[in-house]
Amino acid sequence: MTLTPTLLLAGIERTLNALLARDPAAPSRLARLSGNRLLLRLERPELALAIHFHPDGLDLLSPQETPEDAFDACVELNAEALGELLGGESIERLLFQGKLSVRGRAHLLEEARDLLLDLDLDWEGELASWLGDAPAHNLAEGLRRASRWGRRAHSEMRSDIAEFVFEEAKLLPGRHQLDNLRDHLTELEVTTDRLAARLDRLHRQLAHEASL
Amino acid sequence: MSPLSSPGDKHTTHFGYQEVPVDEKASRVADVFHSVAARYDVMNDLMSFGIHRLWKRLTIERSGVRPGHSVLDIAGGTGDLTYKFSRMVGPRGRVVLADINESMLRVGRDKLLDNGVGGNVEYVQANAECLPFPDNTFDCITIAFGLRNVTDKESALRSMTRVLKPGGRVLVLEFSKPINPLLSKAYDEYSFRLLPRMGQMVAGDADSYRYLAESIRMHPDQETLQQMMEAAGLERVEYTNLTGGIVALHRGIKL
Repeated sequence: MTLTPTLLLAGIERTLNALLARDPAAPSRLARLSGNRLLLRLERPELALAIHFHPDGLDLLSPQETPEDAFDACVELNAEALGELLGGESIERLLFQGKLSVRGRAHLLEEARDLLLDLDLDWEGELASWLGDAPAHNLAEGLRRASRWGRRAHSEMRSDIAEFVFEEAKLLPGRHQLDNLRDHLTELEVTTDRLAARLDRLHRQLAHEASL
Repeated sequence: MSPLSSPGDKHTTHFGYQEVPVDEKASRVADVFHSVAARYDVMNDLMSFGIHRLWKRLTIERSGVRPGHSVLDIAGGTGDLTYKFSRMVGPRGRVVLADINESMLRVGRDKLLDNGVGGNVEYVQANAECLPFPDNTFDCITIAFGLRNVTDKESALRSMTRVLKPGGRVLVLEFSKPINPLLSKAYDEYSFRLLPRMGQMVAGDADSYRYLAESIRMHPDQETLQQMMEAAGLERVEYTNLTGGIVALHRGIKL
């Protein structure tokens, strides 16, 4: 028997618990969830996952042979719905769209989702425990500045490339020119159809007169 | 392993590759574990490259333990399984960590208390051959890497079956026989050459780790242990080979 899935689950569990341990707000959320068991069944790829919440984090286990009634809530969904769920999509909407089904305590799913989505990691505090307050603050500030510069540079580069391609070098038509061209082509198509109809009518008239 | 009869009609049993009087085995095994208790976790990680954690994790997944259950972790040593079980059974359940060795039990208790585990865990120094619990007490019984050190394995399995509730399950995680001959050869080299040296370097005790390798070879193979569990009164006994059969997880149910 391969131990790869067990290893993967152990790795994910360890990572999540390490992240939760770094969120100052996690203990109070975990206290509310503690003792609850959530069963997640994924269709395509077929996968089942048992999540046990406890005051220090969560345990991820493969729910082998554990009956469904041992869980406080059982959630069935596909990979797409899981992505939407973790992307912050409303659980009610997913339920109404039939992408998600929940048996048992539906609120447990919402609380579990919020626990992960509302993670607010105190990276600077964690760095400070390793490097000291001042170096950690300087490093964090530097990273924040680099991140802001990266976002600004990305946005400016997109704008500059668009301006060069559409306006200066005119390598591609702009959105406005494209719309204009599409309108002209539509008009040409309508006019051509009309002309074809008129020619047909004349053709029929000539054929009728020749037969008299 | 059952006690054997020597030509002198004196009951003997295996202690690694040696044959020792039955009365002596428990104390000699105890000496081994007194010697390694303090470094037991470090050595386990080193010897198995950390894979023992995955083997134990799989045992927990197969246990089917639920909130409110009673679990007996025999030869629980430093409490790896008990730690997880205590969270799974919750405040309404209970976990009994039992070990015949006082040093191991003390290390396990200290480790669990340091990790904030207390309310639902009890510690019992007990011999697996005559468990001090009433009939039909536990929903699940585990023995991880402990059965091969028991003098009379049949008695231990019968005792476990007795204290198990009907419908409950016994899980035996133990070293076994590799199924691939090449792996078996590499495993022998590792066990008899490298392991005692690692034991000497880390725990300062090569003999104990030599005993470990020898006791693994003397332990019944997968099929034999399955038959022993069935003979003890367990039903639907099945096993799963892990890491090529170096370890096997046997599971039986009391009906």
